Amino acid sequence: MAKKTPQPESFSPETAPTKTYSLVELVKAPTTMADRGPDNTIFAFPAVALIELLLTLGVIVVLLGMSLAVNAPLEEIANPNTTTDPAKAPWYFMGLQEMLEHGHPTLMAVALPTLMVLFVIAIPYLDNDHRGSGVWFTSARGKRITLLTALYALIVMPIYIVVDTKYPLREILRGQFPDFLLQTVIPGLLISVIVLLPLLILLRSKPTSREIVLVMFTMLFVSAIVFTLAGFLFRGPGFELYWPWNMPGGYSPWDNL
Amino acid sequence: MQKIKDFIVNSRVWRSFFRHGWPDNPLDRSLVMTTNIFFHLHPVKVSRKSLRWSYSFGLGIIAAIVFTVLTVTGILLMFYYAPTVERAYTYINTLQSQVPFGQLLRNMHRWGAHLMVIVVVFHMARVFYTGAYKPPREFNWVVGVILLLMTLGASFTGYLLPWDQLAYWAITVGTSVAGYAPGLGPTAKATLLGGPEVGQEALTRFYALHIMVIPAAIALITALHIWRVRKDGGLAAQDAEEEGETNG
Repeated sequence: MAKKTPQPESFSPETAPTKTYSLVELVKAPTTMADRGPDNTIFAFPAVALIELLLTLGVIVVLLGMSLAVNAPLEEIANPNTTTDPAKAPWYFMGLQEMLEHGHPTLMAVALPTLMVLFVIAIPYLDNDHRGSGVWFTSARGKRITLLTALYALIVMPIYIVVDTKYPLREILRGQFPDFLLQTVIPGLLISVIVLLPLLILLRSKPTSREIVLVMFTMLFVSAIVFTLAGFLFRGPGFELYWPWNMPGGYSPWDNL
Repeated sequence: MQKIKDFIVNSRVWRSFFRHGWPDNPLDRSLVMTTNIFFHLHPVKVSRKSLRWSYSFGLGIIAAIVFTVLTVTGILLMFYYAPTVERAYTYINTLQSQVPFGQLLRNMHRWGAHLMVIVVVFHMARVFYTGAYKPPREFNWVVGVILLLMTLGASFTGYLLPWDQLAYWAITVGTSVAGYAPGLGPTAKATLLGGPEVGQEALTRFYALHIMVIPAAIALITALHIWRVRKDGGLAAQDAEEEGETNG
C-alpha cells in the first residue's frame, strides 16, 4: 500500500519532490494492461485459504481411513543371521533392485540412475524453448508425443524385463566372452537403444527442444514406474518373476510396505 | 453484544494480534494475507487458472500437508521410542499393543510416508508436463528435485527404525547398492552405516538423520521452494494466460 502524500498543485519536478514516476524510454512491446480483458484474478482470501483447509482435512481423512483399515507391517525382530526371502529394498528403490538383475551393478544401480537424476536436474537447461509454460504437454503434438512414448515404454520395458530374465544372454554366454563385455557393454548398449529409439524417431520431424525433453522424460519416467512395479509386485521368493497374486510360499509383496 | 465485540476488537491486545479488520473488503482481504505468517507466502490475488484443479491437482500443497502430518505423528512417536538395537523393536511392539491409539499413530506415519513419496513424484511429473520449469523457474525445478531426493532419504532412514526383519533386510539391500559405486561408494556406505553392516551404529545414524537432519533440511528447503514460487510469478498457469494460449 502506497503511503498517502499530499498532492502538490503542479507536477513540475521542483514542486513535486515526491513524484515517483518518470518517462525513461519508449519501447515497442505489449504493455501490461492495454488491450487486455479484465484481469482474471481473485482475492486469495478466502478462496485459497479454504482450498488449503479442505485439502488438509482431505489428507487427514484419507490417512486416517487407511490407518484404520490396514496396519503397518511389523515382522519378527531383526536377525542378521536369517535372511528373508526375498530380501527387498523399500518399494521406491525396487526399480534399482530390478535393474540389478539385468547387468553389472555399477552400470545398473549407479551409472544409469545417476545419469537419469542428472538429466532430470538439467531439464530446464536442456529445453531452451520458452513458449508454452503452464500448459499441459504444451501443444496437441506434445500430448501425442507423450502418449506414444508412454505406450512404447509400457510395452517394451516389461518385454525387456521378462525376456532378459528368462533368456539372460549374459549367463548363456558366460565364459565365452570377457565379463566386461557381457555384463556392462552389451546391457548398456541394449538399454540405450531401447531408451533412445523414440528420440531418434522424433528427431526426424524437426522437434522443438520441449518435445525432445518430453520424449526423454516420459521414457525414463514410465520405465522407472515399470521397473519399480516389476521389482515390487512381480518378484517373489528367490527374486524370481511371478504373478503378484500367485506367489509361492504364502509370500505377498504387499506385506513389504 | 455489539459493544462488547467493538471493545474487544478495538482493544490494544486484539489489535496487536490482528492487524486487519474482518476480511470482507479488498483492503482487509489484502491485509489478511500480508500480515499473517501462514498466508504471507501467498499473493494477495491469484489467477483463476492457477486455482483450477485440473491444472495442478494441488499436489505441491498436498505434499506440504502430508509432511506436516508426518512431523506431528513423528514427534508423537518419538515419545515412545529409543534407537537401541536391544529395545527399539520392543518399543514398537509396546506402542502397538499398549499405548492408546499407538497402532493408529504408527499406521498414519507409515502410510503418510508412502503417500508423501507418491505425491512428490507426481508433483514433479505435473510440473514437468505443464512446462512449469521454464524460465524463470529453472532453479526452483532443481530445488524440487533435491526435495524429491530428500523425501526418499527421509523415508529410507525411517524404514530401519522399527528394527524388524523387514527393516533390517530392506536397509541391508538398499545400502549395498551404494557399495557398487566406484570410488566413493564403499566409503559412502560405511559412513552411512557406521560400520561394515547394519547394526547399532547404523540405527543411531539413521535415527539422527530421520528425526532431525533430513526433516529440518526439508522444512528449510521447502520454505525456499515456496518463496521462489512467489518470486517467479506464482504458478506457471498464469504465464499461459498472458501468452494467450488456449489449449490445455
